[in-house]
Amino acid sequence: MKAMGIIFSNIYDSSLGELTNQRTVASLPFGSRYRQVDFVLSNFSNSGIYNVGIITKYNYRSLMDHLGNCAAWDMNRKNEGVVVLPPFASGNTGVYKGKLEALYSAVHFIDNPDYDCVVICDSTVLCNMNFRPAIRHHLGSGCDVTIVANREGDQLRKKHPLILKANQKKRVTEIMLDTYVRPGSYVGMGMFIINRSLLVEALQDSNSRGLVHLERDYLQKRFNDKSLKLSVYEYDGVVLRNEDIRSYYANNMALLNADVRKGLFKQESPIYTKVRDEAPTYYGKGSDINDCMMADGCVLYGNVEKSVLFRGVRVEKGARVKACIVMQGTKIGKGASLECVILDKNVTVTDGAVLKGTPEHPVIIQKGEVV
Amino acid sequence: MYFRKKDCVAMILAGGQGSRLMVLTENTAKPAVPFGGKYRLIDFPLSNCVNSGIDTVGILTQYQPLQLNEYIGNGTPWGLNSSNGGIHVLSPYSKSASSEWYKGTANAIFQNISFIDRYHPDNVLILSGDHIYKMDYSKMMAQHVKNRADCTIAVLEVPMEEASRFGIMNADENGKIIEFQEKPKEPKSNKASMGIYIFRWEVLKEYLIADNDDPESSNDFGKNIIPKLLADQYRLYTYDFEGYWKDVGTIASLWQSNMDILGEKPLLDMREKKNRIYSRNYAHPSSYIAPEAEIVDSYVAEGSTVYGKVYHSIISTGCVIEKDAVIRNSLVMPNAVVETHSEIRYAIIGEDAVVHANARIGDNPEFYDKNKWDIAVVGKDKVVEQNKILLPKEIY
Repeated sequence: MKAMGIIFSNIYDSSLGELTNQRTVASLPFGSRYRQVDFVLSNFSNSGIYNVGIITKYNYRSLMDHLGNCAAWDMNRKNEGVVVLPPFASGNTGVYKGKLEALYSAVHFIDNPDYDCVVICDSTVLCNMNFRPAIRHHLGSGCDVTIVANREGDQLRKKHPLILKANQKKRVTEIMLDTYVRPGSYVGMGMFIINRSLLVEALQDSNSRGLVHLERDYLQKRFNDKSLKLSVYEYDGVVLRNEDIRSYYANNMALLNADVRKGLFKQESPIYTKVRDEAPTYYGKGSDINDCMMADGCVLYGNVEKSVLFRGVRVEKGARVKACIVMQGTKIGKGASLECVILDKNVTVTDGAVLKGTPEHPVIIQKGEVV
Repeated sequence: MYFRKKDCVAMILAGGQGSRLMVLTENTAKPAVPFGGKYRLIDFPLSNCVNSGIDTVGILTQYQPLQLNEYIGNGTPWGLNSSNGGIHVLSPYSKSASSEWYKGTANAIFQNISFIDRYHPDNVLILSGDHIYKMDYSKMMAQHVKNRADCTIAVLEVPMEEASRFGIMNADENGKIIEFQEKPKEPKSNKASMGIYIFRWEVLKEYLIADNDDPESSNDFGKNIIPKLLADQYRLYTYDFEGYWKDVGTIASLWQSNMDILGEKPLLDMREKKNRIYSRNYAHPSSYIAPEAEIVDSYVAEGSTVYGKVYHSIISTGCVIEKDAVIRNSLVMPNAVVETHSEIRYAIIGEDAVVHANARIGDNPEFYDKNKWDIAVVGKDKVVEQNKILLPKEIY
């Protein structure tokens, strides 16, 4: 059983606002030194899936720059590797609106007889998962599609794009879209395993009917028609969903929790990212750093608390940074005071500047700005 | 098979066992010894080569090459994964007529004449694998070419009272070398050889072959090749280097050199954007600094978790410093663990070592007789049991 991978780099950019103005959600920085796509790419690499297509729509320069030759993920291979699939805008397609359309534009890549099944993933659901047991489950289930999902017991009041109910044999009994978590239900993780030939057939069929959305127009519709058997593969590890700015902020902060770090970063299956050759981080005299994730290449003289700092950040004397996400190359001037702020790459915070947001509504400073 | 011609091929002498670094080099070659939190000694000459535009490098090694080989890989971390040139680890091998280990620095190059010849270089740059410095070799090369020199030797001005520990170059006002003294009792100059040579390949090759035929020779650049070239009236010049340079052949110098990267304006700046030092990266997550941690004037590398207190020290990649552990003026090498209430002062903790709770390792120099005090060392992979006391100068 040989599997190939598909990653969506930006189907739902709009929910992340300013942060994805100039990049795909896949290349959105996360967790002090990563881009979101690093997680799913590393999962593929650690699961021995080396033929991976990344479907892009627009704004994909930063993604291409990040991927390079994909050596960092052990994906620069002779016969396999990562293929970036820009919009296949020939004929009447145009830029696609949904995953089904997007997949159809990559049908030539997918329809490769060397592979038996396709693992389809979003780049916004972050976890450290090996796909091998999930693929074994898919084979054993006898179902057409396996949906990877987890239980989000304590977040009953949160809306999710895909909610499932399943019986004891993990066969899906009900499929609901854009709704609240119900007790005992599963929350889809944007990962699907499907046989290649079935997928190709479905894509050609849905294209001829003008269908757009994978979940609504294919999975739910065909399931309700009783022409599609669905199975759930339950993942019980740490799952972080960056669906909007609030969850993106909260999930970055969640990394300050040792259990979350343990569930996301495992020695036996590392999360890889682009190497930047920064020196280690220097903690100067007068610096006071508490409860922080700290990437390499920072120079710290100020006070930083409960924050996530990316590579090459500089915090000057007397600056106070609390509950912030500070991306690569940002400089925070003397005596500046920041709380609940997301600072994008290469921002300059001038001496004495004061910015304050709340965890629900963090202030966002865009790439390269001076405040 | 034809190889594209190269102006210069660099050869790094990395064969030493580094016996003076003892426990830190057990099962590993000296150039693979960790430095500065995320580097290894070999990163310095390799990165200098790349930053100077040299893309063909041979590394000569014969002692425990496995870890070094693994570390170098195909040279990607330094951008030396080129299909034309690139990086080559050159171990001694059996030949039809003879097979032998590298007997000396010159012999190591002699045994690899055919490797260098493939690239038809005008000049060969000879480097050492255990020196910490940043240098643009292209400037030295430009001077070498301008002087129409047969050999150029990089020199550093050292304090006169220390000059007798080095190979001293006595040169005229144009930098032409008149005399060479190896560790002289009465040095005539304070220009010490840094062990960095550029030779015209044509000349060097001839002298290497002659040197190999001489049974009296100890096959060493400093002792044999340089004096012979001088005696035969070749054009040897010095190249004055200004900046940080340190031979880290001893525990004390390795420790000192690590301390030299600390501070707001360090002697050796690892943070500057130009002349960056590259290293192999092991996909660690970022470091986590706990609320109870206290870190002052120190480097902490990615993949580390710090709950304890760290003063004027270097914590390398993947280390764990537990709550109430105290590290002062020390180097903790990659993946070492220091458990709670342990105190480490003026020490080097080796790679993958574990210091169990409540141990005391090393101490401040001011409490000890000068010749009884030195850096305390916990070796690679060593496990220090609970409550153990390791005095200064002790090696565990």
